[in-house]
Amino acid sequence: MSDKTIIDVFVDGAKKGWSMGVNNIIPNVLMAYVCINVLQITGLLTLLGNLFTPVMAIFGLPGQSIMVLFSAMMSMGGAVGVAHGLYTNGILNGTHITILIPAIYLLGSKIQYFGRLLGTVGIPAKYYPGLLAISVLNAAVAMLLMRFIA
Amino acid sequence: MKTTEPNQHSQQNSPVPVSGYIVLVFAILIFSGIFANSKGWITVFDFDTLNGKFGTMKDAAKATFVGAGGFGAKDGFMFALSLVPGVMLALGIIEVVEHLGGLKAAQKLLSPILRPILGIPGITGVALISSLQSTDAGAGMTRALYENGQITEKERLIFSAFQFTAGGTVTNYLSSGSALFAFLTVPTMWPLVVLFLMKIFGANIMRFYLSTVDRRANNQ
Repeated sequence: MSDKTIIDVFVDGAKKGWSMGVNNIIPNVLMAYVCINVLQITGLLTLLGNLFTPVMAIFGLPGQSIMVLFSAMMSMGGAVGVAHGLYTNGILNGTHITILIPAIYLLGSKIQYFGRLLGTVGIPAKYYPGLLAISVLNAAVAMLLMRFIA
Repeated sequence: MKTTEPNQHSQQNSPVPVSGYIVLVFAILIFSGIFANSKGWITVFDFDTLNGKFGTMKDAAKATFVGAGGFGAKDGFMFALSLVPGVMLALGIIEVVEHLGGLKAAQKLLSPILRPILGIPGITGVALISSLQSTDAGAGMTRALYENGQITEKERLIFSAFQFTAGGTVTNYLSSGSALFAFLTVPTMWPLVVLFLMKIFGANIMRFYLSTVDRRANNQ
């Protein structure tokens, strides 16, 4: 074992947090905010919201919350940013956020994980669609569960 | 200290220091949010209390340094910046927990139940705990387990299904998720419990698929 003090150890962890924030969270959240901005300016957000209203109603959520799930597939931090943005705009409330939060992580960063996880482990590509389907199912079940306890 | 592949086995069997179990209990208490509404000294065991809050600008109601009514890249940047202290605090605590043997304790408690709940051997305990901290660490260790013949192809697939949904679970939920904790209508621990349940559920769908449909296909 090293002879680091607990303070040193904590600071090492905090440094990891800093680099995660700077290299991962800030760029991804910024990207998500720009996307939401574009969707809002073009009116696509309202359109998507209307389109997905019936589906999201199953989970007790407004249609626009589909944007949280879409952005989760790209980045978890981005999805948190979108959820926060929609909350600030009054589109989502605390109950909606509570229903959505496990789904953000269950669907989180799928696009990256094909390479970073499945590619690294060496999973044959024929299993990719099944693994993705499991994640989507997990998110759906989690939202239904959260609907009852939220 | 970084775990390297050859000593995975010895890590598995090395004794867990008592501090490991103690620090694990403290970490669970801190991150669970159960003391969020408590009063007095006990709140030092609450993550949200430790994380504190930013001072407000003149219009006190909801304007922190992020401000109100912003949009686009600038608003996103300020919001993301407001997440960084929570991420640093969470990773600092996790690092201390790891240093004092808390993760080893978690792994020790977990190993005997992996076979019944996931159908994978106890030797995957280290990789499983690591995968909750970092997707990349989990992926690398899973590959090594397979290459060293410590898990079968079927076990590798089940284990990957577990890791693929909500990757880096604990780190990601406690870091970026902390931005939303204040809005939650339930204690912060509950969504995390749901995440674990769904990861196990998803892995078992893969387990079921492999022992039914896939096995028949391979026999033909």
